[in-house]
Amino acid sequence: MKKWFAFLALLCVALFLTACGDGGGTQGSQGPTAPGGELPSEEVLYEIADIAVDVVNPYLTATITLGNWPPDTAPAAELALFDGFRDIMRRQFPNVTVVPAFFSYTLTSYLPMALGGTAPNLFQPPFTDPQLLINQGLVADVTDALAEFGLLEKFSPAYVDLLGHDGRLFGLPRDGYVLGMHINVDLFREAGLVDEEGLPLIPTTLQEVAEKGRIIREETGAAGLVFPASETFGGWLFTNIAWNFGATGEHAMQYQDANGNWRANFTSPPMVEALYFMRALRWDYDILNADATTTDWAGSHNILGTGRAAMNFAANDAVAEPTAGRGLPVDSFALVPFPAGPVNAYALTGGTAFMFAPQTTHDQAIAILHFLEIIGVLPVITDDTVAAMRAGAISARDRGVPVLPPIPAWADEDFIAQQRAIANEFSNVDMRLFNDFFDSLVDGRVALRGEEPMFTQQMYRDLTAAIQRIITRENADVFTALQQAEDRFQEFLDDMVNR
Amino acid sequence: MLPGIALFTFFLWVPLLQSVRMSFYRTVNIELVEFVGLQNYISIFGRQEFQQALRNTFVYTGWSLLIGFLVPIFLALVIGETLRGRGFFRTAAYLPNILPGLAAMILFSRFFSAEPTGVINIIMSWIDRGPFTFLTETNMVIPIIVLVSTWRGAGATALIYMAGLAGINPELYEAATIDGAGIFRRIRHITIPAIFNLGSTLLILQIIAVFQIMYEPMVLTAGGPDNASLSLMLYMWNLAFSGVMDMGRASAVAVITALILLCFTALYSFVNKRRTEWE
Repeated sequence: MKKWFAFLALLCVALFLTACGDGGGTQGSQGPTAPGGELPSEEVLYEIADIAVDVVNPYLTATITLGNWPPDTAPAAELALFDGFRDIMRRQFPNVTVVPAFFSYTLTSYLPMALGGTAPNLFQPPFTDPQLLINQGLVADVTDALAEFGLLEKFSPAYVDLLGHDGRLFGLPRDGYVLGMHINVDLFREAGLVDEEGLPLIPTTLQEVAEKGRIIREETGAAGLVFPASETFGGWLFTNIAWNFGATGEHAMQYQDANGNWRANFTSPPMVEALYFMRALRWDYDILNADATTTDWAGSHNILGTGRAAMNFAANDAVAEPTAGRGLPVDSFALVPFPAGPVNAYALTGGTAFMFAPQTTHDQAIAILHFLEIIGVLPVITDDTVAAMRAGAISARDRGVPVLPPIPAWADEDFIAQQRAIANEFSNVDMRLFNDFFDSLVDGRVALRGEEPMFTQQMYRDLTAAIQRIITRENADVFTALQQAEDRFQEFLDDMVNR
Repeated sequence: MLPGIALFTFFLWVPLLQSVRMSFYRTVNIELVEFVGLQNYISIFGRQEFQQALRNTFVYTGWSLLIGFLVPIFLALVIGETLRGRGFFRTAAYLPNILPGLAAMILFSRFFSAEPTGVINIIMSWIDRGPFTFLTETNMVIPIIVLVSTWRGAGATALIYMAGLAGINPELYEAATIDGAGIFRRIRHITIPAIFNLGSTLLILQIIAVFQIMYEPMVLTAGGPDNASLSLMLYMWNLAFSGVMDMGRASAVAVITALILLCFTALYSFVNKRRTEWE
């Protein structure tokens, strides 16, 4: 009897746990149903149907595995779009097999797959990682394939440096990003921080972020600012804050001394001031989310998207996260420039690349470039690529992603103009909530700046530890925290580059 | 015997020896590039992060002995003394073990969240207390992680103790009861001596397991705040897979950890042997 009781108890728990799962398998077997059960937009299907399906090359033979393919649980419009693209690829290149891979790149997940030969042929790392992957021999050289497509002359010189080594290229840019600030407009409204037109009174300086964040905290109870201070994210965002406090030039956080050795410089007056600012956000203004030290990048979007914080330092390439990803309506969302500091007004710029797993052959690379052309991300303007770009914009609009002008990834004016025209045509947002961000990039209010040159991830990790100390211990000494972070990073530089 | 040797060679000995070998080389991903002797070890010992990870790992071990070692014994004794529903309690104690480790940690990250939506903070708000910021407190984070690990693992260990307790001759208890011994005296003079050897073995196994703690702090705190919960294994993982890809130094950390554990095991064997000789 007791055994039966124990068995039943275990069975119940197992069933309970199964019921708690996301049910992905079942959902997938039912075909492309979106959350909420929407059907694929007819407009998406209409645009895709416009793309020519005549055979382009019957001799190209390859099997290509493509990362970042939308999973079965993705919205119907996105699934329909990618299924359509795969069908076009199959018709234009009948001997090319497209294998979807739901792999979404992170360095830690990619490394074992690349070393074991199981990484997808195409994956999408951020610009922080290509040089590391190239130096470690974990990506394929695709220079010849890019040359065949006439893409080499359309590369921005900056991207050649990021994606190349010794005159060879190992990837191509997908899109660029500029760090700004995501805004939950509803919380600004609730706090009364709106002008006569009902638009949010956006902070333009870091000091205003603190002050308006406090009002939001007092009026709504939500955090003024969500700050992801776990792993390396805190250091990443803090770098931009420190630049705007003046940690550039003679106060740069990394520099080469007269002997050519790399030095860490975290204890300069601007760095100290910037960390005092972080301290004030926590202990004087009390505007940070309570879980800052365990919040990561995805968590920060979750907190903003679900109305638990009003501001988040984030970029234009992540606008889908709090909106389509977490349910914040596009008309309750704004993207504004990164706030200026007392000295500078910099915004970190970077982007995402398309790169190729090390086992990728020339034919596979060619097939992948054909696929990228079909989906409209290569700087090639034909009726087909325009139709693909339009379908992409419609799909984004239907999913509730703000359709915005892109940050150009290619030095091709015609392609950029085409992208902007399509973004304008399918715009689903009140551009008054976004214009400031895009205008500031053109009118010089914000200067763009790339990441620090040496071992940035390790530097971010060490700076994150300093931030964590300051925001978790009220009496922690700011200078000591920075000194310890500087010592740790200097040890690292001495080990890795100053040998 | 041959299949066994082949399996051990392929899955255990070769990777183990490769890791030791790798720790003496400069590496590019997993390729050995240049023999550097003890340089990786010297460099690792000089780093503050390693020193802190080493200290933290000993703190983990200390807390786990304080919390994690006694709880299973207590559980086994209580369940062993239970007259009704023993099967139910045995099953209930084991249940947390069937949860996947990562899922359990994600569950507890919500439980201990410092936001007002954290489960403990919700409960505390009923009595107008909190909100508490458990995982952001440098002096609380390791005990909390040990507590969570104990919650998950204590039931399985308790089952082993219960098996040990089942081997005790019930006549001893009956005789002791007739002589007027209460529950505490029975435990002290019969139960504890009977499970002493088992406890010693489980102790050393627990130290070995806790010394390799990794995914618990990785999920709950990522080693923070300010490296307060960084363990040796998490530090090793950071070196190998988190933006640096320094497999040589990561292997050095793994070898150092293994050597420390070897010392513990040797000490245990020595003490155990001496005790057997005395007996």
